[in-house]
Amino acid sequence: MAYATTEDAGDLLAELLARCAAGDRAAFRSLYDLQSARLYGIALRLTRQPALAADAVHDALLQVWQRSSQFDPSRGHAEAWLAGLLRYRAIDLLRRRGREEYGLEPAEEADRDPDPLDRLAASEQAEALRRCLEELDEHQRRVVLLAFVDGLSHSELATSLKSPLGTVKSWVRRALIGLRRCLEA
Amino acid sequence: MSGTDADPAEEANLLAAEYVLGTLCLAERATVEGEALQDPVLRAAITWWEARLAPLAALVPAVAAPSALWSRIQASAWGTVAPPVTLFTSEADAPRQVLSFWRSTTAVGFALAAMIAGIAVFRPAPTVAPPPLVTALVPLNQQTPVFLASVGDDGSLSVRPLTSVSVAPDRDLELWLLKDGEKAPTPLGLLPASGAHLAVGTLSGHGPGKILVSLEPRGGSKTGLPTGPVLYGGGI
Repeated sequence: MAYATTEDAGDLLAELLARCAAGDRAAFRSLYDLQSARLYGIALRLTRQPALAADAVHDALLQVWQRSSQFDPSRGHAEAWLAGLLRYRAIDLLRRRGREEYGLEPAEEADRDPDPLDRLAASEQAEALRRCLEELDEHQRRVVLLAFVDGLSHSELATSLKSPLGTVKSWVRRALIGLRRCLEA
Repeated sequence: MSGTDADPAEEANLLAAEYVLGTLCLAERATVEGEALQDPVLRAAITWWEARLAPLAALVPAVAAPSALWSRIQASAWGTVAPPVTLFTSEADAPRQVLSFWRSTTAVGFALAAMIAGIAVFRPAPTVAPPPLVTALVPLNQQTPVFLASVGDDGSLSVRPLTSVSVAPDRDLELWLLKDGEKAPTPLGLLPASGAHLAVGTLSGHGPGKILVSLEPRGGSKTGLPTGPVLYGGGI
């Protein structure tokens, strides 16, 4: 079952992070081998700029090496912790340096699956999120995915969806309120 | 759910959600991060949203990272482009392997080059000026100093943090002096996160060298040489 595999991967990553905290460079290399393609993929999708994506992965993994002792396995999955560090770094770099050629519209790109939610892993968390996203209306679901996956800010969402900023902000808030109510249930 | 604008708790929770989602601009992100440091409720909300939205990261296909990226990360993490050095595989092996690490001129050379590059902005003109008596201890390949070390006329050394430093409960930071031309550093004692003041005469007649800070098991290195990564360094 996929869920068990994810758990095992999480255990291995947690163990590698513990060894990184003890200064084990070989463990850091293993962590890089296991996670760099996943993290780079996320960063590339967020930034759409290979150089910026590489900077984000570099900075995030450096943070991982320096702060691996701060990872607490009881508070979450190691993969989520790593992706979180990476996403925040990528978004900060993106907001600071700007998009190189913003104006492209990720929402209409060919690589977008008709139903990308099918790609969510089969974990309990992912199942709950998929079910709750499907309860949202189309605008709301779209802004959540464009923001989280493609890194669009409020104003970029407005440009990309050709809608007023206020409308977009309201879609985001209603989506979040709906998700929270559904995920808390 | 109505009246969200009027309810500060609701507003804070949605702001946390927008922070995690990534829609905020740079200034708004910085505000949320600053407030989260002071506010455990906001912090908990961010953690809650991180855990709930995390599965969305799986929607993105993996892409092989550029081949040069590992070397770059390695150079930043421990200042060398040499293959990874395992500092110790077991307690018994520790002293010999660590010593061989410090004797490895390539590794030390790169590490020091990286450190000197990192602190170049804090140094006066190298040819005429005497060695500075104040130096910033910076992470390898970075420019933001973490500690400031100052050497008194009496040879005392004080090290104070310039930012908040946290060390895991089972670890300690340890200070080292690496004199120019020497291959192994001399231990100067533990460095609490709050800083340290070392006795008069500690650095008397030291000549030029580097102050290094390594991450060690609690109580410090038992071998007389760094056993963990060198986190910060600066020239004196």
